[in-house]
Amino acid sequence: MVSRHAFLVIICLSALYPLWFIVSTALKTNTAYQLDPTGFPTHPTLGALRSIVADQPLPRWMWNSLLVTVSAVAVSTLVALLAAYAAVFGRFRGHRIFLSSSVALMVVPPVTLLVPMFVLMVDTGWVNHLQSVIVFYTGLLVPFAVFFLTNFFRTVPPELIEAASVEGAGPFTVLRRIVLPLSGAAAFTLVVVQAIWVWNELLIALVFLQNDKARTLMSGLAQFQGRYTTNQPLVLAGALVSIAPVVLLYLSGQRFFVRGLTAGIGK
Amino acid sequence: MARKHVLVALGAALAVGAAVFASSASSRSARATADDPNNASLTYWYWGEPDAPGADNWLKKQVALYEKAHPKVKITVVTQSTDTLTSAFTTAAQTKSGPDIATQWATLPVLTPAWNGASVPISDYVPASEIKNWIGTAENMSGGKLWAMPQYLLGIPFVWNKAMFKKAGLDPSKGPKTWAEFLADAKKLKAAGITPFGMGNKDGYGGAWFFSLIGKQNLDSIDELKAAMIGKAKFSDPKFSGFYQALADLKMKGYLNSDVASISFTQGLQLFGQKKVAMSWVTDGNVAAASKVLGGTKGMGVGAIPIWGKGKLATSYDTTQSSSAFITKWSKHPKAAAQFLTFLHSQQALKAWYKATGVFPADKRFPASLVTDPIAKQQLALDKSPVSVWPENFVPPQVDGNADLVAGTLITSGSGSPADAVALWERELKKWKSQHPDEFRAYTKWVSGG
Amino acid sequence: MAHKGTRRRWHRRRVLWPYLYVLPAVAAMVFAFGYPLVQVVRDSFYAGNFASPIWVGLDNYKGVIDDPAFRQSLLNNLKLLLAVPVMLGLGLAIALVLNDRIRGMRQYQAIVFLPYVLPATAIGIAFSFLLQQNGVLNTALRDAHLGALAQDWLGSSHLAIGSVGGLVVWQQLGFCVVVFTAALLALPPETAEAARIDGAGWWSLQFRVLVPQIRPIIELLAVIQVITVLSWVFNYVYILTSGGPGYASSVMELYIWRSFSNGANGTAASVAVMLLGMASVLIGLSLWVRRRAGVT
Repeated sequence: MVSRHAFLVIICLSALYPLWFIVSTALKTNTAYQLDPTGFPTHPTLGALRSIVADQPLPRWMWNSLLVTVSAVAVSTLVALLAAYAAVFGRFRGHRIFLSSSVALMVVPPVTLLVPMFVLMVDTGWVNHLQSVIVFYTGLLVPFAVFFLTNFFRTVPPELIEAASVEGAGPFTVLRRIVLPLSGAAAFTLVVVQAIWVWNELLIALVFLQNDKARTLMSGLAQFQGRYTTNQPLVLAGALVSIAPVVLLYLSGQRFFVRGLTAGIGK
Repeated sequence: MARKHVLVALGAALAVGAAVFASSASSRSARATADDPNNASLTYWYWGEPDAPGADNWLKKQVALYEKAHPKVKITVVTQSTDTLTSAFTTAAQTKSGPDIATQWATLPVLTPAWNGASVPISDYVPASEIKNWIGTAENMSGGKLWAMPQYLLGIPFVWNKAMFKKAGLDPSKGPKTWAEFLADAKKLKAAGITPFGMGNKDGYGGAWFFSLIGKQNLDSIDELKAAMIGKAKFSDPKFSGFYQALADLKMKGYLNSDVASISFTQGLQLFGQKKVAMSWVTDGNVAAASKVLGGTKGMGVGAIPIWGKGKLATSYDTTQSSSAFITKWSKHPKAAAQFLTFLHSQQALKAWYKATGVFPADKRFPASLVTDPIAKQQLALDKSPVSVWPENFVPPQVDGNADLVAGTLITSGSGSPADAVALWERELKKWKSQHPDEFRAYTKWVSGG
Repeated sequence: MAHKGTRRRWHRRRVLWPYLYVLPAVAAMVFAFGYPLVQVVRDSFYAGNFASPIWVGLDNYKGVIDDPAFRQSLLNNLKLLLAVPVMLGLGLAIALVLNDRIRGMRQYQAIVFLPYVLPATAIGIAFSFLLQQNGVLNTALRDAHLGALAQDWLGSSHLAIGSVGGLVVWQQLGFCVVVFTAALLALPPETAEAARIDGAGWWSLQFRVLVPQIRPIIELLAVIQVITVLSWVFNYVYILTSGGPGYASSVMELYIWRSFSNGANGTAASVAVMLLGMASVLIGLSLWVRRRAGVT
């Protein structure tokens, strides 16, 4: 029993240590950090954090990231919900091709699509505006969302659908009254996974959003890393700010995170 | 009932559209009319801080001053990061959109976009009477026109820690003048438990500096290197690539800091000022910072790079004007941009620059009397050397990024031999030729005086 | 049978609705994938820049295959595949331990899952500092008199890709754990009970009874993670090593990106096409394997 706990504790420590490193370094001054990189911050200071928020466009970047995440995830989830529902319960002609295409497209690395999309964005004048990434992200998210929801919808007992149809309910009503309520947890999981992906996305944001006003948090941070290699507390303060909302959200809703994934997989 | 489905689908489509356009912040900017130098909105992609700490603040203040004097002009500065400086602009240039003013390192990084039609000659917008005061314009000339404005002179002196020299039994007032002396000094330092030489090469710039400081020393003129770039001479000739053996020797003998392969170049520049190594080569700006820590001429020595090679360039110094500013082809306000850039060469701006960074501006009108610090005076004397050449500036940016930077990391990480480094260069030169035939043609033309 | 009639009723009367519902998704996919894919194939046959492309036929492909940097990138993606069994195995082990009705299971799970939600960029930055030659990890090892283990995790060309793999495992592990835990929880308890009554020991209970029951989930997750490691590791590599030293830790996504950044679009496009080809082959293979195993 003890060995099992020890095993888990070691895993947990290695999971938490980098986070601790970020927090403790962000609270040090650069000189303090140089002298003692591993230790506890003896004179914790908010200097790095203050500098990050005041001197850098970090709040703007965060706002951009938030906007992009919410928009792209909302749209892709909605779109995928409809499509997966149609594929599983409507079984339209070609639904199998549609589903296998979805799965196939999941494998496509966005980097392969980057250049033509970039040219398109420039031609439409959307480059350096948030629409460009929102639209592209939405498109990129749809295959996985369709795949995920399809898998989930397949677990819905057909009897429920039959029962409703017998009572004369049309597909939309069935979707609204029966399938949607059931999908709460799965949809939540999907939203979480997609939101994490969009929030973290770097490559496309780097290429499509090049001016500081439009940049997302991650691409701003990456630039940061290159610019301030000698001021690690400052860079990690930026990292901390990018992590903080996610961690707070996680701590408050952690039960839902896990439950969502649980319900999605094991029914 | 069918209507409901149409409605649902439409609703989804509307959601797509709404999300897209609800998030459009300032989308269509007002179409500018004429190119009025006093009425414009400019975007300036700037890089300078890594070379000259204090540069970003200086520019911020200059922009504020300029905007105050020209209320209808708005300048947005976007600081660039070193490793994406060239690629970010190449990307923007490919689609003919981006900043009004851009910064690139001198010569090839400036001329490549020029050849690709991404910039306009600054000599078209700034009078010759002003240009003749700028120092180092030769490096950005092509087709009889000047393509970019130099901003500062960046000397790269050799520095040594006098206290550590004393500890190792070396004469602290004499820095090594030849490579043989350098190796001898390094041996003694190592024996005394001191790390002889410091540099960072995780990102490859350490190796690139080695190429530019040591590698050129077997050449008689930079034209020889240009010939090697277009294949008229072979890079594998020891004249061009022999220096990789010298670098490999340093690594092998343990004269470099142990983390040379895992710290960035900028981090490497700090090693000397952190008293972690006895010798290094750093930019003028970093000398000022180190001088404060080490106690000026008492604690540190400043001199020319040790002579390793036998060519005429062996005694040349290394002032690279480093970064230059140019106006982009698609900018709607070239006159406004030129006016602002010229403002950056005004007396007030030059003095403020020196005060902020300790780096010498590339302008003949800068009064040398302002240079009072004894260390700075030594740097200025070096910077005034008659011949000053930075070979990396003559390497096509793609080759620089894929060969120059990478080859050095092979050596410092111990994962490749000098022969591997040379093979990489030759491969990348071939690749550049086949991937960018137009650039190759332009370079060839430029080499023959075009 | 009543339900068959219902189905037919749906289909006879409302045969239009599925097409409408699926339309937005198809539009999105055509836009985000269809158009660029066609373009990318077209671009792969040209060199030069956008303004003046020059037809070169298959030269881009030939050039790329001859390029050791590309071969190294490809090799590295394959090396990263080794991370998959590691994260699956470790994740499974943790999930099995947690499943044993251990005290504090929910807390453990919450902590183990945390890395997965953290932004890869931020984490990558932290690790790039931690793993430096004289960084935190090595300093700690040296302080613990394990200095011999202290390596140049990021600067050594042999280890760099391993460090990337380590980071991938570190972050993806939580996801694997949660998925496996959920799957184990969903198993009917009777089989386990029966096995216990039959006198099965702890090990045989885990590996002869529980694990086989969740095999479809394990395979599903394996496919997902193989896809991750092949096509979704750009963030990790870019932030941690930038593909260095040299190309020692480069992956194909990075090679494409570097070519694009240098303005060599034709090269980037040709590698993109090859990457797509490989991914498709892989996916086809996995589908074939699953069909053979009788799993839909």
